[in-house]
Amino acid sequence: MRDFFYGYPRPDGQVGIRNHVLMLSGTLYANPTCERVAHMVQNTIPIVHPLGRCQIAPDLAQTFRTLVGHGNNPNAGAVIVVDHFKEQGCTADDIAHEVAKSGKPVEVVNIRREGGAIEALAVATRLAVEMNRKINMQQRERTGLNKLIYGFNCGTSDVTSGLAHNRCVGWVCDRVIEAGGRALGAEVTEMMGGEELIRARAKTPEVAAKLLGMIERMEKSILACGVDLRGSQPTGDNIAGGLSTIEEKSLGAMQKWGSKPIVGAVDYAFPIGEESGLWLMDTPGHGGESITGIAASGSQVMSFSTGGGHTINHPLMITMRLTGNRESWELMKDTMEVDVSDMFEGASLDEAGERLFNEVLDLCDGKMSKAEALREFNAFAINRCGPSV
Amino acid sequence: MTLRALIIDPRDNVANLIGPGSKGAEVQCTVERQKETETVRLLDDIPSNHKFARTDIQAGEPIVKYGLSIGRASKAIRRGEYVHVHNIESNRGRGDLQAK
Repeated sequence: MRDFFYGYPRPDGQVGIRNHVLMLSGTLYANPTCERVAHMVQNTIPIVHPLGRCQIAPDLAQTFRTLVGHGNNPNAGAVIVVDHFKEQGCTADDIAHEVAKSGKPVEVVNIRREGGAIEALAVATRLAVEMNRKINMQQRERTGLNKLIYGFNCGTSDVTSGLAHNRCVGWVCDRVIEAGGRALGAEVTEMMGGEELIRARAKTPEVAAKLLGMIERMEKSILACGVDLRGSQPTGDNIAGGLSTIEEKSLGAMQKWGSKPIVGAVDYAFPIGEESGLWLMDTPGHGGESITGIAASGSQVMSFSTGGGHTINHPLMITMRLTGNRESWELMKDTMEVDVSDMFEGASLDEAGERLFNEVLDLCDGKMSKAEALREFNAFAINRCGPSV
Repeated sequence: MTLRALIIDPRDNVANLIGPGSKGAEVQCTVERQKETETVRLLDDIPSNHKFARTDIQAGEPIVKYGLSIGRASKAIRRGEYVHVHNIESNRGRGDLQAK
C-alpha cells in the first residue's frame, strides 16, 4: 500500500497537491475582478461568494475565517485578495494579513484605491501573471501521508450509500490514519440518530460531548421551524432512493467514518489539530457549505460519495466523486471518477476501497479530477450563522 | 435469476433488496459476514434497492438497520412487506409533532 504522494511543501509545513494562484474575493462586489483574472491567467482559481457585507458580527467572523482558511489552504501557492472599498471586519487587507502568516506570497488589490474596476483588473492580472511565473518553478516533493488531510462528504444518498461507496470512503480513512494522516468529515444533520455510535467511537468523553452538543443544536434549530424534517432531510432524492428517515440516512452516512477513534471535533471552518485520526467538523448537511468548511481547514483532497450521482466539486480542494449505484454511474460518469457498483456483484470492500485509495493518491500526485479538466467550479458556499442586516 | 438481499446486522428487522423485486418473488437474504441465508417471499413490488421486512413488526416497534433504530413502525408490517415512508415514522427532527 502506498504511503506517500508528491506535493508542494509550504513555508508553514503544510503540503499542497496543487500550486494555484488564488483570486480570493473579500466581498461580493469584487467577484467579477476575481473571475475575469482567473479566465485570463492560467493556473488561477477564483473564490467568489455573495457575502462579506452587512452581516452581524459572528456571521461575518465566520465568513472571514472561511476566506482566510482558503488563503491558507496549501493547494494555493500564492494569493491575491480583492475588495472594492473597506468592509469593517472583512477587508482584503485583514484577510491578506492573516494569510501572510503562512509565509506564502500574498497581494491585495482594492478596486477603489486602484482607480476603479478597469485599473484594478489590470493590476490584479499583472500580479497573477508574475506570481504564476514565480511559483511554477517549484517542484513536487515526496511527502508522507502524515501531511494529508483527507476530506470526505456525501450527497444525493440512496440505499446503496451505506452499503457500498460510503464504506469505501471509510476504508480509505482507515488507511490514511494508519499511515499517520488525518481524515476530516462533517455533516452534523447526518449524525442525528447516530449518537450511540459516536459515544462508542469518540476518543474522549469531551469529544463525544462536543459532537452531541452540535447534534442537539442542529436538531433544536430544526424543531424551532415547527416542521417535519422529512423532505428536507432526508431530501426528496434520498426518499426516492429508498432512505426512509434521517436516522437511516445518518447511519448510512456514518459508514464513511471507517473504524478509527474520533480524535477531535471543531466548529465550522476552524483548523483541526495535528493529531492523526478521524476529525469531524460542525457543518450542515448542505454539500457546498460542508465541503467549503472542510477546505477552509486545509484539506487538500475530498472524496464525495453519492448514490444518485453528483457534479459537486470545490474550486481549490480537489474533489473526486464516487458511487456504488450502477445506473447513476452510467448516467453521470462524465462528472464522476470512481465506480464501486461491482460491490453488489461480489467485489470485496478491500478491492473497491483500494481502487478509491489509488485514485485519491493519483489525484494528490497531480492527476486531474474531471471537474478540473472541465474547469467546473460549483461548490464554494460559506455557511451562515446570522441574517443579512 | 435469484433475487438477493442484504441484512447488514444480525439484529436488523429489515433487509435491503439488491435490484428491483416483484410481489410474490422469493428473495435470498444474506446476513453480512454470516454464511447462512434465509428466504423471504415479497408481499409487494419493491423498487430497486429499497427495504422490506425480514420479520413481522408490530405498530410502534423500532425499525432496526445497521443494528440501530432508524425509526418506528407507524402500522403493523408483515414479513416480506415493503418498508418505507408509508409505514415508518422518524423519531428525529419532528418539529411538526412539537408544534401540535
